[in-house]
Amino acid sequence: MRAKQCALKQGFINCHDCGYLVKITQQLSSCPRCHSHLHERKPHSLQRTCALLLSSFFLYIPANIFPIMTVTQFGTGDAHTIAGGIIELIDGGMIPIGLLVLVASILVPSSKLIGISLLLLSVHFRWKINARRWTFMYRVIAFIGRWSMLDIFMISILVDLVDFTGVQIIAGPAAIAFAAVVILTMFAAENFDPRLLWDNQ
Amino acid sequence: MNSTSYQACPECDLLIDLVQPEIGEKIHCPRCGLLLLRPRKQSIERTFALSIAGLILFVPANFLPMVGITLLGKANTGILLSGVISLFNENMWPVSIVVFLASILFPLAHISLSLLISGHLYFNRCNRNLVSWMRWMHHLDEWVMLEVYMLSIIVACVKLMAISPLIIGWGLYAFIALIIVTALLTSSLDKELFWQRIEQLSRDNNHAS
Repeated sequence: MRAKQCALKQGFINCHDCGYLVKITQQLSSCPRCHSHLHERKPHSLQRTCALLLSSFFLYIPANIFPIMTVTQFGTGDAHTIAGGIIELIDGGMIPIGLLVLVASILVPSSKLIGISLLLLSVHFRWKINARRWTFMYRVIAFIGRWSMLDIFMISILVDLVDFTGVQIIAGPAAIAFAAVVILTMFAAENFDPRLLWDNQ
Repeated sequence: MNSTSYQACPECDLLIDLVQPEIGEKIHCPRCGLLLLRPRKQSIERTFALSIAGLILFVPANFLPMVGITLLGKANTGILLSGVISLFNENMWPVSIVVFLASILFPLAHISLSLLISGHLYFNRCNRNLVSWMRWMHHLDEWVMLEVYMLSIIVACVKLMAISPLIIGWGLYAFIALIIVTALLTSSLDKELFWQRIEQLSRDNNHAS
């Protein structure tokens, strides 16, 4: 295996969908193997990532302030926020599960928001970075994103099962905001092009 | 320069002169460490078999009750779809659509697409839709969240255990089996091989006509 330089500088475009290497010519605009549109880098990567990231920052506030679910027992409602649910689990002695939910619904989304912001800033301001380490960070961010859906799925199970006359669990407005945060950050990670980290080297 | 023996790393754009790896060998990008190629044994046959198994398991995993609780003398069991419907009835339709897509529709679409593609390749049939199916499957990958759902079943069960005894239904076992099959399916599917075979099939087809 012989390694060369950046493929783009050598006049090649890597197809985003199938990974086919195409020599740049004037008339070629779609991949000969999978017919998808060819781009040197993901199109408008920074702008799109930035827009998605900002929207998730704003939605992250209602997601944490409003109740994510309400437990009604014989007329009295008890609203839980994301943090409240975790505190209840830990108080109830279910520490491992409490920690799991803490990681999935607080640590993962917040570190994702911070991580993607750092990636954007480093590309925009051309920071001198260790690109290998930052690409690894990008990979971790892209991998962990989906696990935040845990809270949303859990609500759908609880709402479905705890539905008796007298005792009920109802989803709260934060559920919509939180689901939106998870999905928007997943799209943000998908739109960020890690090759931009290497282009500045 | 013959471009077919060269590849570019999708995450750092390093141009690499690749030697086709042996089965079981892994090739990482020398600059950023991304796993580039990992050819699997009998990739097409295994993907085909696992997709059939997955589609069969999909039925009990979706229609048999998974978990339930008994409270005040009344039993309540749930399936994947009933969670979606309860959320929908509570005016939480954005959330319910997301749950429906990530836990029912996208897994089903992913397994069906891999069945279609591997079936065509297994029987050497050419179809001009193969390319778009492959691209669809590639984009769906990330949105199939069965294993996340499994984890949330566990968390929900721990929470519910505090208030009532649990009922574990056959649907849950089928669901666990489905997760194992989809995980095996993803690892046996060698995308590069599939793309090469599709390219070859369409070229043969063009020559024949």
